[in-house]
Amino acid sequence: MSARSLVLAIAVTAVMVAVSLVVGRFQAYLITIVAIASIGALALNLLIGACGQISLAQGALLGVGAYAAGNFGNAGLDVFSIVAAGLTAALISALIGLPALRLRGLYFAIASLAAQAILEYLFKTIEPLTHGISGLVIKPMTLFGVPLVTDQGYAALSLVILLITWLFMVWVMRTNIGRAFLVVRESEIVARGMGLDVARTKMYAFLISGFFVGVAGALMGFTNRLANPEAFGLQLSVDYVAMIIVGGIGSWGGSIIGAAFVVLLPELIQRLGEALNIPNILSALREMAFGLLIIIFLIFEPRGLVALIRRLTLKVTGSNAANVGQKDRLEPQSANRRR
Amino acid sequence: MTYALQLAVAGIAVGSVYALIALGIVLIYKCSGVVNFAQGAYAMVGAYLTYALINLGLSAVIAVIVSMAIMAGLGILTERLILRPMLKAPVVAVMMVTLGLLILSQAICLAVWGPDQIAFPALFPAGALEIAGIFMTYNYVATGFLSALLCVTFLAFYRFTPIGLMQRCAADNSRAALAIGIHVSNQVSIAWAMSAALAGLGGTLLATLNGLSLGLADIGLIAFPVIVLGGLSSLGGAFVAGLVLGVLQSFTDGWLTPSLEDFLRAHTRVYSVGALQQVVPYALLVLMLLVRPEGLFGRRGTERV
Amino acid sequence: MSLTARSVTIHFGGLVAVDAMDLDAIPPEIIGLIGPNGAGKTTFLNCISGIYRPTGGSVLWNGEELVGQAPHVLLGRGIARTFQSITSLHDLSVLDVVKLGADMRGDLSVGDRMRSLFLSEKALDEELTEMLLRPLRLADVAHTPIQTLSYGHRKAVDLARALAAHPMLLLLDEPVAGLTSQEGMAMAGVIRSVRDRFGCAVVMVEHKMDVVMDTCERIVVMAAGAKIFAGSPAEVQSSAEVRRVYLGEPS
Repeated sequence: MSARSLVLAIAVTAVMVAVSLVVGRFQAYLITIVAIASIGALALNLLIGACGQISLAQGALLGVGAYAAGNFGNAGLDVFSIVAAGLTAALISALIGLPALRLRGLYFAIASLAAQAILEYLFKTIEPLTHGISGLVIKPMTLFGVPLVTDQGYAALSLVILLITWLFMVWVMRTNIGRAFLVVRESEIVARGMGLDVARTKMYAFLISGFFVGVAGALMGFTNRLANPEAFGLQLSVDYVAMIIVGGIGSWGGSIIGAAFVVLLPELIQRLGEALNIPNILSALREMAFGLLIIIFLIFEPRGLVALIRRLTLKVTGSNAANVGQKDRLEPQSANRRR
Repeated sequence: MTYALQLAVAGIAVGSVYALIALGIVLIYKCSGVVNFAQGAYAMVGAYLTYALINLGLSAVIAVIVSMAIMAGLGILTERLILRPMLKAPVVAVMMVTLGLLILSQAICLAVWGPDQIAFPALFPAGALEIAGIFMTYNYVATGFLSALLCVTFLAFYRFTPIGLMQRCAADNSRAALAIGIHVSNQVSIAWAMSAALAGLGGTLLATLNGLSLGLADIGLIAFPVIVLGGLSSLGGAFVAGLVLGVLQSFTDGWLTPSLEDFLRAHTRVYSVGALQQVVPYALLVLMLLVRPEGLFGRRGTERV
Repeated sequence: MSLTARSVTIHFGGLVAVDAMDLDAIPPEIIGLIGPNGAGKTTFLNCISGIYRPTGGSVLWNGEELVGQAPHVLLGRGIARTFQSITSLHDLSVLDVVKLGADMRGDLSVGDRMRSLFLSEKALDEELTEMLLRPLRLADVAHTPIQTLSYGHRKAVDLARALAAHPMLLLLDEPVAGLTSQEGMAMAGVIRSVRDRFGCAVVMVEHKMDVVMDTCERIVVMAAGAKIFAGSPAEVQSSAEVRRVYLGEPS
């Protein structure tokens, strides 16, 4: 990432943080949920978009992050509960990947499905840690002793963590680990023949992705002050998959756009429904929209909204503006220098 | 002993339905190389269609048959409209499309029929059968029997008829099949049609037992432990594994859970183990992946990288 | 430092693809492995590079058994190989692929690896370009995505990738196939200079007889999965046995 992009990213984040500290509760809440979803989407994009491993366990892993953060936070770990939650989720993510490590990618998808089911069960039954069906009450996070209680505060925190996540992802893709991800994604057989340790590469993907999902889950837990099993089901997993498909697999910027889209769409439809007076169709409409979007995007524009935007800008303004999205593309920096 | 038999019989009945759904997934996988995450959606839509047709006045039997025919059509439609354009796309993308289909189907059913569970019209006479001290409602018996019958019929069809042979050729090696004149794309459509129709029937039968709701689609998920146990490319394996898993769940619910809870309540403060029978199939799935990923009846070596 | 393959055998179903094949390679010799199509040359190469697991026999490298080890383990021990068909590998540039190869060196310590994670990209790029890309005439396209390069260039990149791992045994799978006569001779020259520079042993499977005769010091001839002759280029050329089994391609 060039110095210019870095400064830009930090500047944008700083502005957003300032904004989030002064807006009202509802706007701050929206910023928070978009930021949290973005972190989760970036993490999933690393797994699916960069390394080609489809996972349906996102929902449960977010839950792991939330429950872990709740327990660590209630135990007084302060802001480090977020890191601890990330590490817990990373560990669980590695465990999920373990059975399918030497098997084809499709088996990992199935294993993740099993993991989602098993974890949901554990959320409901391991009462001492999760308080079962009634849910775990999570005390507000303390930042070096000071409790964080405002929506604005969490919005700011989430934005900062989003920036850190983004920077990390961009950095990883510049290293040999990132390059290895891309080769494994292309073909595990080619990767193996080339001499890459495919199992180890996949493990890195599981661990890194899991960590950031855990972080996102932790933020969810603190923001909602509650973690309960229903919130972390398969539906959530599929929502995240929708985020990266709609935003564009293999594009960091796309993940954020996709996250914003998926998270804000229900709000939009809610407003629409209230305005037009048709409350019942709402949730059905949202799901229909998702289903259709996933299908349509995958068939016609697998690179998602980002590519769509790029194509439209190309048509309207000419080639220069189209490069805006290019910097986010999940490719090693050296290939960009050709331009 | 009678109790054990009772559990086994109940398990086989439900397991037959699992097998029916799993068969469809394996069939599609063999033909298209794609894991259809939307198979449960076919089951759900089939059940809703049967319900709608019965409400329109058709007799139960006709409604079921028409529903299956419509499902077959939907299967072909899915294959033509969604699979064909994605022929060049990575398998990963196609599987995600089937996920999208699952979401879409559930949304449509939600919009048309609402979120609540609906009582499904009785297709079988009320009352129960008693043999050697084992009680089974006619509903259960019919469900199990019909599912098993269809599974076995399908397996026989696949193994012994000319069309079945063409299916096997197309699935095994599409290029060779093309070379000898088999219309592979037709065969693929037929596979999807059959899978969808079988799933639709399975869904209908399941709805007679558990009521009609969006949750019927969940059976598409439990099909995965079935196919991992049986072997991703083994149709016969799916059948056997379905039965095994049905019995496993039944025994977990009827014996393991109570025994475990008695033990735990006596020695610890733990009161309940929750819905253990829901999760045991998945635990078995993980175990299979670790120990024998090709399943009980699959061919070794096709899974590993 | 030597490769000792003894009685390497592999079955595919009922077909015996490689039948009790022996091969020795001691750095810094260049050995050619030739034979008619279907003789099992590439299959044998796959057996000694960890792609296939032979059903029988042993492959010793410096006394350690290689059979059953994955390619990445073999790379760590100093055995690298190139491939006939080179996939596009997404958007990765020449340097990216070579850097991946360099990462697989067996002689890197943990400290080296940690340091490389934080080392300036530019310094690393320049070093690799000078050492590996320039001799292969790839310096100009160092940052180009390999999927836009010609076949000849891609083969060179594959070779650079294998070399980046500092191998002591280089296994080449038809290094000049698909190249023009001129490109082929250039590649042969590169192979010789690589051997001179690194002191590694080279085993190359190849069909183009002129390149083989010119470059290899020893030639092993395979037919129907088994070794039927071994000797110097002159001996091979004058062997009636070889001529009978295999009409070589014209120079």
